[in-house]
Formats: sequence, C-alpha cells, structure tokens
Amino acid sequence: MVIFSVAGKDLLRFLGDRRALVVSLALPLVLTFIMGLSFGGGLFGKSGISAIKIALVAEGIPELLRDRFTEGLEESGFFSVSWVDSNAADFLVRNGEVSAAVVLPDDFLRQALSFEEIPILIWKDPGSSLKAGIVEEVLSRGLREYQAGEAAYLGLWPEDAAAAGDSSAVDLVEKYFEGAFSTLWQSWREVENDSSWAEFQERTARIMDRQVALVEALGQPGIELEVQDKVSDQDVSQSEDINLFNYFLPTFAVFFLMFGVAGATGDFHRERKMGTLQRQLMSPLRALEFVLGKWLSASLQGSLQLMVLFLGGAILFQVNLGPDPWSLPLAIVLTCTAATGFFLLLTLLCRDEKMADNLKTIVVLISAMLGGNMVPVDSLPPWISAVGQFFFNYWANLSFSHILVSNRNIFEEPQPLLILFGATIGLLGASLIVFILRQRRGGLL
Amino acid sequence: MIQVENLAKKFGSLRAVDGISFQVERGVLFGLLGPNGAGKTTTINVLSTLLPPDEGKVTIGGYEVRLDPAAVRRLIGIVPQEIALYQDLAARDNLLFWGRLYGLAGKDLGRRVDELLELADLHQQAKQKVETFSGGMKRRLNLVAGLVHSPEILYLDEPTVGIDAQARSRILEMIRELSNRGMTVIYTTHYLEEAEQLCDRIGVIDKGRMVALGDKEQLIDQVGDQDIIRLHLPQDAHKEFMEDFAESTDCLGVRIFRGKIEVCTVDGARMLPGIQAWLSSRNLDLQQLEVERPNLETLYLNLTGRDLRE
Ligand SMILES: Nc1ncnc2c1ncn2[C@@H]1O[C@H](COP(=O)(O)OP(=O)(O)O)[C@@H](O)[C@H]1O
Ligand SMILES: [Mg+2]
Repeated sequence: MVIFSVAGKDLLRFLGDRRALVVSLALPLVLTFIMGLSFGGGLFGKSGISAIKIALVAEGIPELLRDRFTEGLEESGFFSVSWVDSNAADFLVRNGEVSAAVVLPDDFLRQALSFEEIPILIWKDPGSSLKAGIVEEVLSRGLREYQAGEAAYLGLWPEDAAAAGDSSAVDLVEKYFEGAFSTLWQSWREVENDSSWAEFQERTARIMDRQVALVEALGQPGIELEVQDKVSDQDVSQSEDINLFNYFLPTFAVFFLMFGVAGATGDFHRERKMGTLQRQLMSPLRALEFVLGKWLSASLQGSLQLMVLFLGGAILFQVNLGPDPWSLPLAIVLTCTAATGFFLLLTLLCRDEKMADNLKTIVVLISAMLGGNMVPVDSLPPWISAVGQFFFNYWANLSFSHILVSNRNIFEEPQPLLILFGATIGLLGASLIVFILRQRRGGLL
Repeated sequence: MIQVENLAKKFGSLRAVDGISFQVERGVLFGLLGPNGAGKTTTINVLSTLLPPDEGKVTIGGYEVRLDPAAVRRLIGIVPQEIALYQDLAARDNLLFWGRLYGLAGKDLGRRVDELLELADLHQQAKQKVETFSGGMKRRLNLVAGLVHSPEILYLDEPTVGIDAQARSRILEMIRELSNRGMTVIYTTHYLEEAEQLCDRIGVIDKGRMVALGDKEQLIDQVGDQDIIRLHLPQDAHKEFMEDFAESTDCLGVRIFRGKIEVCTVDGARMLPGIQAWLSSRNLDLQQLEVERPNLETLYLNLTGRDLRE
C-alpha cells in the first residue's frame, strides 16, 4: 500500500534526524528522572496518588502528641496513619495491609522530655519502596516541635508546676508579676532588701535553663531510626506502595508527545515549501492516501516515542507497565492517533508553517495545562477539569493513570480509550475534508 | 499528445494564464519560453492536474485533466522548478520513494533506481543525503526523480535555474538524450539560448498570453525578411529622425529602445545610405550603428518590449 510508502519514508527521515530523536526520546526521560528525584512526589501525593498506609505503635503517649504525629505524617501527603499495638502492627505489615509500622519506645515521653536520642523502629517489607528517610523526617519534626513546646511551656508557666509541690517558688513569681506596672517596678527596686531574692534568682536561672534546652531541642537530631525488615506474605506489587515515576513518566511523556506530534504534522507545510507535497499530488497518489500516510507516520513516530519512554522508565525507574501486555500499547497507540489527528487538523487549518507553529505551541501549552500534564487534574478547579475533558491528553492521562498507577486492565474501564478512538476518527475525517478543500482552492501551492 | 485550448487560470483577480492554446505532438521537445511571472509554472501545474483550469480544455494523451486526472498522472513525469526532494534522505531513498508512488516495487524498482542514478551520474553518491549535494547534483537528481516510472511525457520546469554553465550543459544533454529516445517533453525556461538550442517547437509566453508559437524557423519567419538597424544618436536628434524616417518606404517601423534608435526594415543595406546622408546633412557623427538579422531575441523584443536576459 502506498500509504505505507509515504509513512515509511517519513519514519526513515525521523530516525535519521538525531536532534529530533534527542528531543523526543532522551529529554523526557531525563526530565522524569530529575522531577522524580527532586520532588519525591509531595506535590502530587495528595491528588494523584493514594497515601501510603502506616501503623504507629506507641504505648503511653499522650493524645496530644499522637494527634501531632498523625497530623505531621498525614500533612506530608504520603501517609495515612493508624494507631495500633505492636502485635497488630506486626500482623498488618506481614499481611501487606500497611506499608510499614513505626514503633516508638515505651518510655518515649520521658526520653522526649529529657531530650535524649529516641530509638524508633520501622518495620517494613523489604520489597516496599517506602523511604525510611521520609518517616524519620516527619517524626523528628513532630518530636522537636513537641519538645520545644514542652520546654517553653514549663519555662513560661511555672505555676503549672505547683501541682508538683513547688508552691513557694510559684508564690514568689506570682508576687513579682502581680499588680500594675508601677507595683512591679517598685518590687524590682526593693528587691535587694527582700529576703526571697535568692530564691527568685534560682527560679529565673531555671527558666533560663529551660530556654537553653528549648534551643538545643530545636537543633538536635531527636530520633534515631532503625529499619527492621519483616517479609510480607503478600505479593509486593499487590501492596499499596506506589512508585512516583508511574505518575511522572506518563505525564511528561504525553507532554513531549504533543510537541513531537505537533512537529511531525508540521511536515505538511515543510513539504509544501520544498515542493515535495506538490510533486506527490502530481503522482498517482490520492489526497486520502497522502493524509492517511502523514497521519500514520506521525502516529508511528509518536508511538515509538512513547514506547521508548515507557520502556526506558521501566528499566531506569521500575515504572509499572500495566497488568497485561496489551493495555499499555493500546493506550499508547490510541493516544498517538488522536494526538496526530488533532495536530494535523490544526496544521491544515493554518496558512503556513509559521502560523501553524505559533498556534500549535499555544495549543500544546493550553492542553497541557487544562488536560493535566502540568498540574494534576484533581487539583485544578472543577470548571477547568470540565474544560480539560475536551482535550485528548486528558483522556490519555486518564488511561495511563489507570494502567500504570492503579495497575488496572484498560478494558475494565474502556471509556478513555473509546473517546480517544472516536476523536481519532473525527479529527482524521475533518483533516481530510480540510485538505481536499484546500486542494480545490489551490491552497496547497 | 498534448492539447491545450484557451486555457485560463486565475489567482484572485490576476489572470496568471490568460487563454493560451498550443499542441505538442508525440516525441516533440516543446519549449515554453517566457520571463519570470509569465505563467509558465501555472501552466505546468494545470497540465499536471495540480491545479484545475478555470477555463479552456487540456487533454493529455487523450485524457482530459479535469475529468480523468488519475490517468493523466500516470502518463506524465514531472521535474518541478524547485528541488522537490527530501534533503534529509539519501539520493537512492528518494528515488525509491518516488518510484513506489507509481506502484513500482521490489527488484524492478531497485533496478530502475540504479539505472537512474547511473544516468544522473550519482551512483557513487547514492547513499548520501541530498542536503550534502551541490546545486548541479541536486538538479540532476531532481530530473531523474521525474523519470522513475518511465513516463511518456515529461514536464521540465526551469530545470537549470541556479546552476553553473557546466552543470547546465550536462542537464541539457540529458534532456536532449531523453527526447532522442522518443519522449514528449515540455520544457519551460526564461533562457532564450536554451530554448533556441534545445527545442523543436517554441511557445513564447508573456503575462499569461501566448505571444508567439511555432518552429524556431517559423518564428523567425514571423519577423519576415527584416533587418534591425540600431544606432546611437544625441537625444535632441531623436524626434527629428523618427519623423523623417517613419514615412520612408523602406522603414517598417522605428522606435527608441534603451536610448537607441531601432529601425525595422526590409533590407538594411538599402536603407543605410539614406541614413548616412541624413546624418551628414545635419553634421552629426555616427556614433554607433549595427545591423542585425532577426533572431528569437529580436522577435521577443518586438513582441513584449522586454529583454529575456533581464
Ligand atoms: N499560488 C499562487 N497564488 C497567487 N498568485 C500566484 C500563484 N502562483 C503564481 N501566481 C502568480 O501568477 C503569475 C504567474 O506565475 P508563474 O506561473 O509562477 O510564472 P513563471 O513560472 O512563468 O515564472 C505570477 O504573477 C505569480 O505571482
Ligand atoms: Mg515558474
């Protein structure tokens, strides 16, 4: 078929263009790598991805502190926390119900208040990708805040210590701090004559000690983390663990795909300028064959680009390629055919290459913005995600998220693919009509 | 083989081709000669079904372009004015592609492509990208790319533009060779010498109109037995000269062209003494005088008032 000759020739040109290869294949991988490393996913944790479940074991810890830890851990966007005893925690880890258990020592509170280093255990399955460092960071932040708060509290309101039987000191402080400013001033002036001055000094010194402790507490590594592996009986991939690259890779891949396909379809104007388009139209090649050939070649280029990216992602970042061998390729191909249809139509509607390039750059950025390639769709205002549904990349992102992040067979939820398929047919038909109209009006010269 | 009747093609209000007619017999090398913007490429585009004609009828090998474009396309080979090749593909890959468009494939195609590379003298560079080629090499490849399917009819649209004299004569040689083998060729050019050297029949086209048409000899005969006398005179003598000689029986016409007086006459030799007498009676020196036998160039000048070499 002559369509394949047209497409094959373009593919040959694409593969011979080293710059295009670098831009469309290497760059997205590098970017994914950088983003994956530097973000650690905090931005996306809340919206795109379900939180990692962890169990906290802490006997004899006040409610207040528990809440503070829970808040800290959940605020990070990575974790959802449940408080259990150590037996339950062991069970949960072994059954893959939680990704890890964090075990605080029994005398955690005493250690915390005396600013000792606190040994904390993390039980996790060795296959889990949970990073101990994240837990350490969150825990020690919570702990430090608690310690600092405690020190400040005791230093500033020593009267609370009255319950501990230190009433004379409390009385003394109260005496000095009662009444109006003038009274206070009077007291200070008379202080030398006061027999209780020594006691007051002692109390002040203790307050100072507390303040120093506060400062130290804020500057100290408060906890020491020990990770203990507990092998889960469950298949690791079934657990709740997520690989952030599963989210980042498709997002970047689709973004770069748009640029790639926008460039590939721009070949229409380049061929027009070179005269090869006209030369083809003076051969037995028909308009339909030309348009289909161009569409096929750009779709193939795009598919090749995505496949290399996903395979690269799988090798470099252990990206999940889906539960079966056909979901991902199918999503890739339909994404590319729809993308090509979209950009081919835009190209044909534009008078010349410059106009097409400008328009397509703007459209790529807008689609990326609204369709979820810059910011996750869930975190956009609802009206924007409603608008985003009119862009093919929204549906592409959705399919990839089903396959890579949720590890689901695409046929379980075929709506995104059906929409991509429909878009392909519609856009291709429209492109053909525009092409023929242009040809009639001599707009191909 | 090719019949064009009253062909017109408009771009908006511009009549790029304005009612031209000509015929090209089988095996003839037909030259379409005209300055830039005359409408040559537009004519070729209509003849190759790229543009539908607005008026008139064009028949190629018995098929009308408007009714049966597919049949016409199979008959014709085209060498466009630009280098319509993929610069980022190797020479051989280019030819293979153009061959496939005409349904060639496999060994036949490979053999044909090798033949053409040989013909273009590019077999050594077959695997090199076209972008590395010199202007002449690109032109030769551009030419043979129109021959992959061994067409009966070949359109060549200014195939020698932008290359040096040596490369040009090589291309002209190739075309002459093709014509000798019986191919029907339409050759457009704005180089008069090329048309004169190469073509059996010539149509001169200007501003979309066919201003002269015929064999080289016929065209010259159109100017008939005429000589052109060209002489240089001081500006103030022009008017008087023209008044005096316009009525003379031997003078077919007189005009000022590029600062010189041009006298068109049946016999130059008979007129010269009269001119000399006129000059000496006014004490004017003859600064420069030449008598010219008519050729295509003078014909063209007479027809369009423009110099082809411009
Ligand atoms: N696609 C087009 N749109 C508008 N005007 C055109 C187009 N192609 C050619 N013309 C105009 O038609 C006239 C004839 O052009 P062309 O056939 O290219 O001349 P030639 O090939 O003899 O130099 C020129 O004035 C040119 O500007
Ligand atoms: Mg031209």
